Amino acid sequence: MSTQNLTNTPAVHNRRGIKEQLTGIPRRRQLIALISPASLWLFFLLILPLATLVMLSFVKTAFGEGSTVLTLEHYRAFLQNTIYQRLLWRSLGIALLVTVLTLLFSYPVAYFMAYFAGERQNLLLTILIIPAWTSFLLRVLAWRLILGSNGLLNTFLMGIGIIQEPITGLFFSTPAVIITLVYIWIPFAVLPIYVSLQRIEGNLFEASADLGARPWQTFWKVIFPLSLPGILAAFLFVFIPTVGEYVTPALVGGPNGLMIGNIIWDQFSRGLDWPMGATLSLMMMLIVIVPLFLSSGLAERLGLTGGGDE
Amino acid sequence: MRNHRFHAVFLLAALIGALLSGCSAGAGTQGIDTPEEPLVILEWTGYEVTEYPQFFEPFSEKYGDQLNKVVSVSVFGDDAEAFSKVQSGFDADIIHPCSSWWGLYVDAGLVQPIDTSRLASWDEIPEVLQKQGEFNGQQYFVPWDWYYEALLVRSDLVPEMPTSWADLWDPQYAGHVSLWDNGEVSFAAAAMAFGLDPWNLTDEEDEFLKQKLIEIKPNLITYWLDYTQAIDLSASGDAWVVASAWQDTYSALADEGYDVTYVEPEEGYLAGVCGYGIGSESTNLDLAYEFLSAAIDKQSMANFSNEYWYGASNAAAAELIDPEAAELLRLNDLDFVLANTEFYQPLTAERRDKLSDMWNEIKAAP
Repeated sequence: MSTQNLTNTPAVHNRRGIKEQLTGIPRRRQLIALISPASLWLFFLLILPLATLVMLSFVKTAFGEGSTVLTLEHYRAFLQNTIYQRLLWRSLGIALLVTVLTLLFSYPVAYFMAYFAGERQNLLLTILIIPAWTSFLLRVLAWRLILGSNGLLNTFLMGIGIIQEPITGLFFSTPAVIITLVYIWIPFAVLPIYVSLQRIEGNLFEASADLGARPWQTFWKVIFPLSLPGILAAFLFVFIPTVGEYVTPALVGGPNGLMIGNIIWDQFSRGLDWPMGATLSLMMMLIVIVPLFLSSGLAERLGLTGGGDE
Repeated sequence: MRNHRFHAVFLLAALIGALLSGCSAGAGTQGIDTPEEPLVILEWTGYEVTEYPQFFEPFSEKYGDQLNKVVSVSVFGDDAEAFSKVQSGFDADIIHPCSSWWGLYVDAGLVQPIDTSRLASWDEIPEVLQKQGEFNGQQYFVPWDWYYEALLVRSDLVPEMPTSWADLWDPQYAGHVSLWDNGEVSFAAAAMAFGLDPWNLTDEEDEFLKQKLIEIKPNLITYWLDYTQAIDLSASGDAWVVASAWQDTYSALADEGYDVTYVEPEEGYLAGVCGYGIGSESTNLDLAYEFLSAAIDKQSMANFSNEYWYGASNAAAAELIDPEAAELLRLNDLDFVLANTEFYQPLTAERRDKLSDMWNEIKAAP
């Protein structure tokens, strides 16, 4: 094969010449053709909507006369309204808790798959992903079978006599939101951690053992630091979508499980107050993105993002 | 109105529309009998002509198997959602809001006047209902159904039957009450409970009711979002008392054999009328009038009443309604109902915004 190729390739040493002759398209246009699908996608589905959101947040109303009047009143309303702020912090708190719990549950699974599953790694991966094929809604509502007032947990507790009456608030509460979200995100967190664990060279373990490290020392001083890029990726995968989550709190949050996403949804879908909804979305983005930028900058300086000198 | 709409939103919609139109062009072929364009209906969940053809009998019989090509139904769970959807540019031919929202549609120019001479059986609708759909001397809405809001109670689960709106605050139902996730309705119910006039609340009274609706939270299991969820909460036994439930939730559960009671609160039923309007952008008028005529046909209305135990705007339907249900809910005595229940009064845009904000604050309160 390779000799065949070699003989067919014209002996031109200039790289540009080869490319041009193979495709007949100048290199510059090749590049444009390659990046245009992604940039069009980004433009229409990210930049344009984001610009719309920013513009919306500065007008008085989305409809009628007020749609041409510029104002800062929505930002003022956000800063003055303690309810919006409280919900925002609450959502960040819930998201942080969900993320930490997800990571705690995911790490052992990823660790097991990477080092102990042997031949069955692929099978385990498939099993892990299968629940993600069912509808998001179904996976949320499935918890009702466990947490509902006639659910498994209540039946079990009543069966062993700990409680006489079923506990009814379980399915409609903030803990239910957290449990459901952790369950949903686990596959998304396991995968990046698993990949980062797999990339660790096997001879590092031997080297560590040779130098007299005990297994737990090997873990904390060798494996864990090398898996940090995966943990960071998993953190972002889980944390960012959870802050703006609104479906799960609407379904299982009960009267007190509201998150900021629900208010934003309400402002757009029922309240007709699009500018306020846009302002809330932007404030949420700002509060999430700024610390993330800072921390990712820090991570890069500490060499935690991977892809460096492995 | 169009000119003032937010330009970037419009631009975005146009761009996405242009992107999507490529996909839909050429999809499906038109039959000879079916109209050029389907009739776009914005409808409450549980009323869809495609699911309940008997509520619009002459129309669904005429189009039969073709019905899915003739109509395109979108559903909503409450009035705020429907109004918001139409206001933000959803061009429906037929819209089905309830009477307190009708004026808002007319003011925003979202509906067009209806030529009642094109409606068969228009004269069978009592004048008192007809008048509710009249604005600035023109008919904008065709009254269709009227309903109660009361307490749907699981008789087998409650320790003691609630008898009034005020009983929703009774701690013996702690963790087993469900309110509708709807500011307008929950404020009306709270006003009834504390002896205030639901339609003329002062700022102090609003604040008082807001505190009361925050105080009720320990009694709540969750807020219900739509008809299906109200039924589900009651059927599962999670909610012993579903507040502001309509007759259809009651009839659906009673038909399934659940031990439910529809309690008329001591302070009285809340009640409302809903009806159909024609979207201001609609050009599919022949089909729209055909649909409306079929809707107010007395047999259609009787089928509807018998299914859901709602009131029918067509008085002539009374003779075809199941006498037992009619007796129980006084479906055949509109005058009595009008005189003895609290009918929803028209909302203003300011009131709608205020209710929406207050309701969000209640739900977000710790």
